Amino acid sequence: MLRFWPIWVLLAGGLFLWGMQRSDPDRLQSVLVGRPAPTFSLPLLEPYRAQYGSEMGFSSDLGKPVLLNIWASWCIPCHTEAPLLERYHQKYKDRVLFLGVVVQDTEANALKFIQQYRLTFPSVFDKRGRIGIEYGYYGVPETYVIDRDGTILARHAGELSEAQLQGYLRKVLE
Amino acid sequence: MTAGLRLLMLALFSLLLISPYFPNPGLAQPRPNTPPPDFPPRVYEIARELRCPACQGESTAESNAGVAVEMRRIIAEQLAQGKTEAEIRQFFVDRYGYWVLYEPPFRGYTLLVWLSPLIGMALVGFGLWRYQAAARARARTGVAGVSDEEIARLESELNLNPEQRKP
Repeated sequence: MLRFWPIWVLLAGGLFLWGMQRSDPDRLQSVLVGRPAPTFSLPLLEPYRAQYGSEMGFSSDLGKPVLLNIWASWCIPCHTEAPLLERYHQKYKDRVLFLGVVVQDTEANALKFIQQYRLTFPSVFDKRGRIGIEYGYYGVPETYVIDRDGTILARHAGELSEAQLQGYLRKVLE
Repeated sequence: MTAGLRLLMLALFSLLLISPYFPNPGLAQPRPNTPPPDFPPRVYEIARELRCPACQGESTAESNAGVAVEMRRIIAEQLAQGKTEAEIRQFFVDRYGYWVLYEPPFRGYTLLVWLSPLIGMALVGFGLWRYQAAARARARTGVAGVSDEEIARLESELNLNPEQRKP
């Protein structure tokens, strides 16, 4: 067996290189990717009720792609991400539904956050994060890219960069 | 500073130092793993088998992360609905995959995880057996390579009396 030491060294080296090249070793693929997105309906936060009604959520008959963003006002990356999402919502609002889900937060803090970043894309309130668990979330922020047929195309854990967001939008609008 | 004030400060400082050794019931904290009264212990038994998605190395029973608290609540609700432990575990597996279980099932791809220690031991055993077989073969070859004359000399030296061996 020791005669084959170069093969063992190559194997161990290959494994090491493969492990090092993963972007985030803690990030796991969502089991929901490629499966229908769970449907839900939750109370909308006050600023959006006049335009969208008292409740909103995801259902397979929406007829357009959805970018579901799970956020909380106490989450620091959510503060960086919010202006980016708002900018792209303005750009793509006719073709993609940007939908926020506020989890593990107070309504007052969520409203302050919305006011601070002048968010015009609708956000629903899920105080306990039950919908997050339905989607198998790990924490905030997390974004789910859902195509117009209601299938989850991708799950992004953590803050979105502009390039990543552009990539997901391209993917969902193909 | 007067001597009295100095003595008082010394006494206060000493009290500060020894205070951790005298538990104060007013400041007592609950043990972190003690189930709060609103959930039955069975919720924690199931939660202990589930990984907390938001934390590193903590089970859903131990973690105070929001997602873990909600998972415990879901377990309690599903138990109240009469669901079995297997059904509750499956609920989380459907959303998080087998990763969420501390003990993956004994089938399919995860079978490899269970069997890997046995496979490892078998490989080590095979390696040792091969090494010993090679060592035995070398020993045999070594004896076969010695000439008759040398063996005869060795045997005669071994048969010598202890007195004769002395120089």
